[in-house]
Amino acid sequence: FSGFQQVKEEEKSKLVGNVFTNVASSYDIMNDVMSAGLHRLWKERLVGKLSPFAGMKHLDVAGGTGDVAFRIFDAVNSVKRRALRKVDEASIEETQIYVCDINPNMLNVGKQRAAERGLSDNRSLVWVEGDAEALSFDDDSMDGYTIAFGIRNVTHIEKALAEAYRVLKRGGRFLCLELSHVDIPVFKELYDLYSFQVIPNLGELIAGDRDSYQYLVESVRRFPPQERFAKMIGDAGFEKVEYENLVGGVVAIHSAIKL
Amino acid sequence: MYRTAARRLLGAGFTTSRLLRLPKPRPTTTIIPYSYCTSSMESPIGNQSVNPNQSDPTAAREEGHRRDESRKPRAEFQEEQARVLAASLRHVPRLGWTEEAMIAGSREVGVSPSIVGSFSRKEAALVEYFMDECLQLLIDRVDSGLDLQNLIPSERVSKLVRIRLEMQIPYMSKWPQALSIQAHPVNVPTSFKQRAMLVDEIWHTVGDGASDLDWYVKRTVLGGVYSATEIYMLTDDSPEYRDTWAFLDDRVKDAFDLKKSIQEAKYFAQDIGAGVGKSFQGLMNGVMQTMSTRGGRSSAF
Repeated sequence: FSGFQQVKEEEKSKLVGNVFTNVASSYDIMNDVMSAGLHRLWKERLVGKLSPFAGMKHLDVAGGTGDVAFRIFDAVNSVKRRALRKVDEASIEETQIYVCDINPNMLNVGKQRAAERGLSDNRSLVWVEGDAEALSFDDDSMDGYTIAFGIRNVTHIEKALAEAYRVLKRGGRFLCLELSHVDIPVFKELYDLYSFQVIPNLGELIAGDRDSYQYLVESVRRFPPQERFAKMIGDAGFEKVEYENLVGGVVAIHSAIKL
Repeated sequence: MYRTAARRLLGAGFTTSRLLRLPKPRPTTTIIPYSYCTSSMESPIGNQSVNPNQSDPTAAREEGHRRDESRKPRAEFQEEQARVLAASLRHVPRLGWTEEAMIAGSREVGVSPSIVGSFSRKEAALVEYFMDECLQLLIDRVDSGLDLQNLIPSERVSKLVRIRLEMQIPYMSKWPQALSIQAHPVNVPTSFKQRAMLVDEIWHTVGDGASDLDWYVKRTVLGGVYSATEIYMLTDDSPEYRDTWAFLDDRVKDAFDLKKSIQEAKYFAQDIGAGVGKSFQGLMNGVMQTMSTRGGRSSAF
């Protein structure tokens, strides 16, 4: 199947589920290979923009393997930061980072990585299975909401945005890191070439799954471009919607505030 | 005419200072569903400044009607930001010009501290807000009948600078931090603009009518006096900062004398130039004579 195929809605989530079941175990490796390690920098930038603080309640959606969550956890708990900022221990205890993913396999990979870091008993990290379009969290309960490389897989983007709006507190921050559209003339062609020729082959080679990565690449093209996505975010009720292009538009970070 | 010069120098931001005297317009009731702006890695400083004082009146006029719609919902964010920053100022003496102060401020206002993450150049946003507020306070003081009639210009300048510096007294313990934040290369354009507006406002109040090169000289000189006094104040222990005010009076007097000195220096330079010119000419004549008597057939000259 291909991402360009017209797929019935109920089937889309099942297909996406399959993609990620297949993809889960080699997800991290493939990320590194496809982006030449750059995805780490992008995630760092995402967390930098968030400016995590001790005691925050944060929700990372579609973040099964925990990349973003761990970074937020480190930002709040790093010893250096604590020393510099005179933060009391109590508010660090209150920090809650929820990692929500529709796919249990991805969550398991995340839990495993937490265990490797010695964080399996830490009460700050909570792994929840759930759907971005129908979150199980209360209204006005989160200080921050991030979704990194997940929103293009959602069937109804508006629903996911509406849910994000619902769970955020007043003043809460919405941040979305996603592959986006490149407009720069020559670079665009190179990027297309890389996407359609190189990546599916890499998928074949490393993950043994050409189809999933073909789907991935095509779903990126179907995703709304930066301006239109920004408009959608605004339509969901958010204020101060902005976006920042990284690597000429290969990746974009959209940010907004709920007021 | 000085206003056009100011506009040339300072760009769009300057006209705001005039408009600070007018009451802020009521936010309109039409709710536009969204607002957005783009930013790239190299976004220009101040282009998307969320400084609450540089809001709708200037923006709507300066940037054309098309953008007008997108400004209104942003005004809500500007207001919210202003509220958070105002509340944060109360925490500054204890926590410094830091994110912690802003987080505490946002909690006071009842907004999630995450909003602090969206302020551009976070701590700088707080400092810049304070600088704008002080300028606004100064303007209000002047408008509400400050008595300057019986004072000579140098005393007026002294008084205004003193009023402005006194606003910083509650934050004096943390002011060096504010200065260092303002000195960051990223923040320099905005802090420079704010200081230029302040200095211009003071001269305008004193009754300055100059419009030529003098205008720049005056602003620069007063800027120097203001900064010097500000820094002196950081280490002043005297009761009620008496030493600082004495320092200020001396510097202002020097500055006013400086104007005379610049004039004298100009005349002096002219005299020197005339003298040097004459002697150079005499030298050249001598040289030519020598060459012609010795060379005879030389055709160089």
